[in-house]
Amino acid sequence: MRPMKLLTQTTIYFLLLVLPLLTISTFYLFSQFNKEIGHEIDEELLNDQIQWLRYMDTVSVHSPVFRLSTPEFSLQPVTQPAQAKPVLESVMLYQDIEGKKTPYRQLTQVLSIHNNSYLLTIRKSLIERDDLIKNIFIVMLIVFGGLLVFILLLNRMLSKRLWRPFYQSLEKLHGIELKKMESVSFSPSSIKEFNQLHTALTAMITRIHADYQSIKELTEDAAHEMQTPLAIAESKLELLLQDETLSDAQLHAIAQSSEALERLARLNHSLLLLAKIENHQYDTSQPESLQHVTKQYLGLLDELIKDKKLTLETQLTHDTSWQMPAALADMLISNLVGNAIRYNYTGGKIKLQLDDQQFTISNTSSWPAIPQQQLFQRFKKGGAVLDSSNGLGLAIVKKICDTYNLPISYYFENGVHTFTISRFSTNSKPSFAA
Amino acid sequence: MKVLVIEDEPALQTAIRQYLEQQGYICETAPDFPQAMAKVNDYDYDCIVADIGLPKGNGLDIIKELKALESEAGIIIISAKDSLEDKLSGLDLGADDYLTKPFHLSELNARINAILRRKHFDGNTNIHFNEIRIAPGSKAVFVKDTPLTLTSKEYQLLLYFIANQRRVVTKTALAGHLWGDAYDQAGSYDFIYSHIKNLRRKLLEAGGEDYIKTIYGTGYRWSDQ
Repeated sequence: MRPMKLLTQTTIYFLLLVLPLLTISTFYLFSQFNKEIGHEIDEELLNDQIQWLRYMDTVSVHSPVFRLSTPEFSLQPVTQPAQAKPVLESVMLYQDIEGKKTPYRQLTQVLSIHNNSYLLTIRKSLIERDDLIKNIFIVMLIVFGGLLVFILLLNRMLSKRLWRPFYQSLEKLHGIELKKMESVSFSPSSIKEFNQLHTALTAMITRIHADYQSIKELTEDAAHEMQTPLAIAESKLELLLQDETLSDAQLHAIAQSSEALERLARLNHSLLLLAKIENHQYDTSQPESLQHVTKQYLGLLDELIKDKKLTLETQLTHDTSWQMPAALADMLISNLVGNAIRYNYTGGKIKLQLDDQQFTISNTSSWPAIPQQQLFQRFKKGGAVLDSSNGLGLAIVKKICDTYNLPISYYFENGVHTFTISRFSTNSKPSFAA
Repeated sequence: MKVLVIEDEPALQTAIRQYLEQQGYICETAPDFPQAMAKVNDYDYDCIVADIGLPKGNGLDIIKELKALESEAGIIIISAKDSLEDKLSGLDLGADDYLTKPFHLSELNARINAILRRKHFDGNTNIHFNEIRIAPGSKAVFVKDTPLTLTSKEYQLLLYFIANQRRVVTKTALAGHLWGDAYDQAGSYDFIYSHIKNLRRKLLEAGGEDYIKTIYGTGYRWSDQ
């Protein structure tokens, strides 16, 4: 089930609870009225019967035989024996005026008057009772319906008011940034539970911020501690190179050591960068469009492309709306374009496409396809050991894509390696800038 | 030209001082914050190379002090932290350049050179090396008054060589200077060779001498000896 708003859910539960309750109580009331009125009519009938009996006891001396018949009352001689108790029943009788059958409540009893048996029938029309009940039912419905609407509105209004501090806090949590976490504060509310929530959240945020700070300091300190000895070693080697008494072979050895140290420094730098991306410790103040960064790197790497006699085919959009922090865009593009050059063969091809939806780069290479399971793993060089590679390039690319929810895919076909990064787009397709 | 090197690591401090002294600078050093502040207040320097992470203080405060003193000195920050925030705040305070450790001494030297040229001669004083004359303002190069047409990379190479004259510069230092971090992606430094070859050819064609000595597998030395 799709998650619903709190207010919608409470309203639905309220309706589910109240509607059957109202329905049941309406029917209960209806049947109670029905019963009560029926009872009343029966009592009236019995009362009439008693009146009639009294009357006939006094009248019968003068006229011995009765034969009376009206819709409401009839008295007819019968041969049956007298009944001790009257019979009450509901019947439908044809009515001339209305032209149809209408309901009646009737009382029948065989009486014995001066040793003659008579059948006494007294009837009362139920039409008025039915009308009455109908009216009561309608009034009930109106009252209950009105009550329901009123309660629903009240509930919505109250909920909105009561939950407002909660929604305000939620809004704040959404906008929270690791770097500016310590400045988040919640305004006190008149509801105890919300205040408790705020206290818990504040404690949690303080803890997360402290953790973030210590991780940040750790990575920075680690960088400092490792880069400084590297800097010393490198500068000493560079000084050593200036010694004019050294042979070419000795100079070469020193230069190789120096290059190895540089690789170590770059490796350290890349590992720190991965850690920084993982901890969201990059500067987001200067977003840069992918289009711009791609052009910039194609310019910077132009020599390398010419040096390897590579054919470069580009389709770059003019759209600059696809942006990410400059440091990350740099790493992403330089790694992908760099790989496409580095693993290419002389005279190979690079095809680069960038529009506002996708970034695709493909290159020819003599290297086989990269196995999917080690594609983005650290230090997996696809079986290749290139001196200048540190095996972190694709891991960094993947990390950046993950951070920005950009799906990245790889496929290999006919000696061509292709990486595609899709822009995580919403349903609405952005229009191209002219 | 007087340079103050503020660096707490003695080994690195010595290496920087030695290299700069070899290039003809008068070099002084300060190992921590109080000594650096004292020297900055007592003497005038043409250029100050300052580490940010110092014992007993922060290198950024030294920049503030220099600006308060209305010092004319060029300022280069060297830091082990490759942090954009540090870099930006350093440059905002008035530093002229920023180098991340580890760096090549030849790169530091070239940058000091560029700053001093900009600051003290308004970039208009010509640079001379025997028969070669460079006018940095217009980026024009002459060999015995014959103008040379150099590409931007060749021009940068020439300046770098002359700044680090008579020193061995490695291929990686050259690549780093010309292409920045992008050269990491190269996989080889062979592409530098074609630029050097072209520069050498143009200088020779204009009647200059061949000053670029190749040191096998290592790098190059610009030398007239």
